[in-house]
Amino acid sequence: MLKPEGLSSILYLMQKKSLYPQDYNPEESIAALATPWGESALAIIRLSGLDSLKLLSGIFSRDGEIVEAAGNTLHYGRITAPDTEELIDEVMIAVYRAPKSYTGEESAEIFCHGNPAVIKRLIGVLADSGFRYALPGEFTLRAFMNGKLDLTRAEAVNELIRARTDRARALALNRLSGAIEGKIREIRDGLAGMLAGIEVWLDYPEEELEGENDLIHEAEGWALEIEKLLSTYSIGKIVQEGLVAAIAGRTNAGKSTLFNRLLKEERAIVSEFHGTTRDYLEGYISIEGIPFKLIDTAGLRDTGDPLEAEGVRRADMIIRNSDLLLYLVDGSLGLAAEDRELISTYHDNRKLIPVWSKSDISTAGTPEGFIALSAVDGTGIAALSKEMVNRTAGNLSSSTEERVIDSLRQKELLERAFSSLEDVKKSLQDEVYLDLIAVDLKESLDALGEITGEVTSVDILNRMFKDFCVGK
Amino acid sequence: MDFEGIVIGGGHAGIEAALALSRLDFSCLLITQNLDCIGKMSCNPAIGGLAKGNVVREIDALGGQMAKLIDQSLIQFRILNRSKGPAVQAPRAQADKALYSQLAKWTLEREGGLSLFQDTVVDLLLTNSGREVCGVITERGRRFTAPNVVLTTGTFMEADIFIGEFTASSGRLGEPAAVGLGSALRKLGFEVGRLKTGTPARALASSLHPERMREQPGEDEIIPFSFANTKVQRPRVSCYITHTNEKTHRIIRDNIHRSPLYGGKIQGVGPRYCPSIEDKVVRFPDKASHQIFVEPEGLNTDEVYLNGISSSLPEEVQEEFLRTVPGLEDLVIMRPGYAVEYDYLDPLQLYPSLESKKIKGLFIAGQTNGTSGYEEAAAQGLLAGINAALKLQGREPLILSRAEAYIGVLIDDLVTLGTREPYRLFTSRAEYRLSLRHDTADLRLLEKGYDVGLQSVEARDGLLQKKREIEEIKELLDKRKVQEMDVEKVTELKIHQGKSLSRALKDPKVRMSDLVSLDKGLAAKNRDWLYQSELDIKYAGYIKRQERQVDRFRRMENMRLPADLEYSRVIGLSTEAVEKLNKVKPLSMGQAGRISGVRSSDIAVLLVHLAKND
Ligand SMILES: Cc1cc2nc3c(=O)[nH]c(=O)nc-3n(C[C@H](O)[C@H](O)[C@H](O)COP(=O)(O)OP(=O)(O)OC[C@H]3O[C@@H](n4cnc5c(N)ncnc54)[C@H](O)[C@@H]3O)c2cc1C
Ligand SMILES: Nc1nc2c(ncn2[C@@H]2O[C@H](COP(=O)(O)OP(=O)(O)O)[C@@H](O)[C@H]2O)c(=O)[nH]1
Ligand SMILES: [Mg+2]
Repeated sequence: MLKPEGLSSILYLMQKKSLYPQDYNPEESIAALATPWGESALAIIRLSGLDSLKLLSGIFSRDGEIVEAAGNTLHYGRITAPDTEELIDEVMIAVYRAPKSYTGEESAEIFCHGNPAVIKRLIGVLADSGFRYALPGEFTLRAFMNGKLDLTRAEAVNELIRARTDRARALALNRLSGAIEGKIREIRDGLAGMLAGIEVWLDYPEEELEGENDLIHEAEGWALEIEKLLSTYSIGKIVQEGLVAAIAGRTNAGKSTLFNRLLKEERAIVSEFHGTTRDYLEGYISIEGIPFKLIDTAGLRDTGDPLEAEGVRRADMIIRNSDLLLYLVDGSLGLAAEDRELISTYHDNRKLIPVWSKSDISTAGTPEGFIALSAVDGTGIAALSKEMVNRTAGNLSSSTEERVIDSLRQKELLERAFSSLEDVKKSLQDEVYLDLIAVDLKESLDALGEITGEVTSVDILNRMFKDFCVGK
Repeated sequence: MDFEGIVIGGGHAGIEAALALSRLDFSCLLITQNLDCIGKMSCNPAIGGLAKGNVVREIDALGGQMAKLIDQSLIQFRILNRSKGPAVQAPRAQADKALYSQLAKWTLEREGGLSLFQDTVVDLLLTNSGREVCGVITERGRRFTAPNVVLTTGTFMEADIFIGEFTASSGRLGEPAAVGLGSALRKLGFEVGRLKTGTPARALASSLHPERMREQPGEDEIIPFSFANTKVQRPRVSCYITHTNEKTHRIIRDNIHRSPLYGGKIQGVGPRYCPSIEDKVVRFPDKASHQIFVEPEGLNTDEVYLNGISSSLPEEVQEEFLRTVPGLEDLVIMRPGYAVEYDYLDPLQLYPSLESKKIKGLFIAGQTNGTSGYEEAAAQGLLAGINAALKLQGREPLILSRAEAYIGVLIDDLVTLGTREPYRLFTSRAEYRLSLRHDTADLRLLEKGYDVGLQSVEARDGLLQKKREIEEIKELLDKRKVQEMDVEKVTELKIHQGKSLSRALKDPKVRMSDLVSLDKGLAAKNRDWLYQSELDIKYAGYIKRQERQVDRFRRMENMRLPADLEYSRVIGLSTEAVEKLNKVKPLSMGQAGRISGVRSSDIAVLLVHLAKND
């Protein structure tokens, strides 16, 4: 068993992609938005690099002050475009001096207004002044390079960012303590045992070896174990990303209102005009510890507007790929022929939950099987939540499983191990030479080894900073 | 300086080292304890076998001597594992021991620039700094100077042999140990350990009953070990197979307390894979019988070697248990089996060039590095000799990768992992053995031998021609379709009618030998090349998959690490990794990753460190 610090660093190595250590160049100053894109009261842009304060001073009203500033100080001022003198925003700048910063380099954080247009402009002028937009994970890479973070803590940062629910945190913790590694090691040991058996037989041609064991049987057993582990991927994904619950229905059924209600925030624009929501919106909620990714879709109707038509097309795709479908029928209008048609279209393959919306103003009785709900006064929200949990119970039934694969990388490697093992099985059945079979067996072993980090390769390293939240 | 290179020891390692140095035009002195013992086979009279046979052919491709020596002295030839796959087929030959040794000595004598001298080296001469070798001192007080010394002492350094209660200071029965050098090296601060190995009794052939044993003849056709030989014509003899039984084992068990191994006299660690019969009986009590191969030691001798039953029990016990074996009832022992315990130097103290990290110009090869086996010794000797020469020329050392040669696997294992027991090659030590077939050794390595200067222009041109012709064969097989009349000749082709011959060849039931009869173009081709094409085509899928694995492997190998990197300065490495890395001083990231105790997180830190300092 690997020590936890080794283990987490390996997990760390494996989960990141896209950023390569070769990308590290401390001479370059980087910038990135550290808060989510979108409307908010405040946004933070993070800067780091050798010349970041000097570069920043070119666009900051108190340029002298900031160049001289001591570490851990705050400075109020204006940011203007360097050539046009156009005012972009009034901001607060936090100055950090090396090595006392997140990255260990000279750094700054710009606190600006959380308006996407402002943020865009700000990043634009930063780029004009010599900052490069940071790659995902690059701040953490720098922190790591400068010895500010060891791999373990870098890993922890990433996990923390990604874990959305208690369950995700618990599973991450479990991974850190080696539950998956233990299992994979067990399979690896088994395969290594098979390989060793083959090797002995190959290396001692002069000896008569007794009791050649049943290799096919063994290969089958281990393939099954890998398959079992693979099957937990969907659970892992759910825990990590949430079950996808799409809200659909005809235009004006109250979808966006319900979306906002469930998210407890005003994200989607609600209006009495049909066809207001043209693209889809996503939001995360957690009900009884189960994470859901809610998607508010465009209303479904035949439309002449090409933009809206595209929204409808996307809605259709989302619905087909979702785990749950909350289908809203406007209770104040009643069930229309189009609703019946749409329900039957999506009925067969979806976990459809029919919802009778606007129950506060509905006059007709609620049809059989529908949940009556008012997004305005809140009636039926509890019933819907309960139903959503019930419907997903099937998906999560094996979620008592302590070992859960959650990274795509792990899944892909397990699949590689599995398919190589299938090749082994087939070759054994076809009585292919054992030294050839050993090639596939080794491939399977290698793939498993990459998961636990026993096989080190450049690939593993190149995956180092994958999936990193930009700016963290 | 008296010479440009000095080689200590005229065993299998020393022969190759001395020849490489002098063939690369450096004046060289080979000092060995007894000139009549040059190239002696201490143990079994055979060269080759699994992985080892591949090594012999690799040595040949690089420009070494072993393959040529065995081609001229073999008395039986076989390809092992013919019924298994292509990766584990390997040539093995019984040797006429005396002839082999005589040819080796003669080859050395005829090499211009090479001097042979009989004496025993007892100490090294160092420069004033104490960090560079500049010569040797012998038992008789002679001093010879040279900027390079290759140390190949085999089983002789401070060696003792054991037969029951008898012990003597010898490296081989009847030959004195080389005493003094081991202590001198210890004093210089080398980590010196003790290993042991053993050998079985030799018997008089005419005292055996071959009719009570199973005859094992050789194959009719001999594939030369050396790529330079197109045909080898030698007399053939047979071996015989027999088995021990319960009676044999009881005698061994009853006398086990008289074994120096079990009596605690021997401290050295023996090879697990090549146990003495005492070990076999004690460790595998359930096995009712063990195999014995009776192998002739030569054409002009009646001595036979009893392979598989090495023992250091008292002589009379050896005779008693051997006589319980069918065919050996009346056996007359000519020399008893014995065990030998000797000094070896921990190979972690070497760079992959086989040069010592501690003392510049000192190269170490062969059994001294903890290996066992003639082929392993010769391979190291050749590389040590080549690298000593390259050093004299101011060139980069020749380091073979694990993916291109068994020799690469051997040396990498030694200098990266070290060894605590006698090390021998197995096919399973090589991750990519499908790419290391014996028949492809020249394709893999001859060019390198040419670059070094040990292969002639003709040899290289020959290789180019071979490559071309193999391409031609493959093209021919791709183009030529299976026709109706072909099916009449080779019924297995029925289901492949209309398809190309190369497609048909992928069918396990279709063999190249069948196809040759169908096409004049094919029939005209060299047999070895046809064989090679057959394997390439038949196993293309597997070979390709293996090549993908090799590609992954190469990327780490190609990331160089400076030998003088001070690992304690690399922030983030674990303490254990710092210690191990500073000891091994790996030259590539791949090598670093194979060191035990270096974790993948350490490798990540190193990769990052490298990237930062590029
Ligand atoms: C008893 C016994 C059992 C063995 N069993 C096996 C076995 O089971 N399997 C196997 O694969 N191999 C076995 N071998 C090993 C095999 O013989 C060696 O691996 C091989 O010969 C090593 O080659 P080498 O060149 O390293 O050394 P050697 O062949 O031992 O040659 C060393 C030479 O150097 C000379 N020498 C040593 N020290 C000095 C010095 N200070 N000055 C001058 N000359 C010196 C010696 O006289 C000798 O001629 C056995 C050897 C012995 C002796
Ligand atoms: N009374 C009442 N009105 C609602 C309710 N839900 C939505 N509405 C109204 O219905 C109209 C359309 O709502 P919206 O959420 O935009 O529908 P969407 O097109 O399905 O997204 C808006 O005017 C909402 O105020 C509800 O539960 N009760
Ligand atoms: Mg809407």
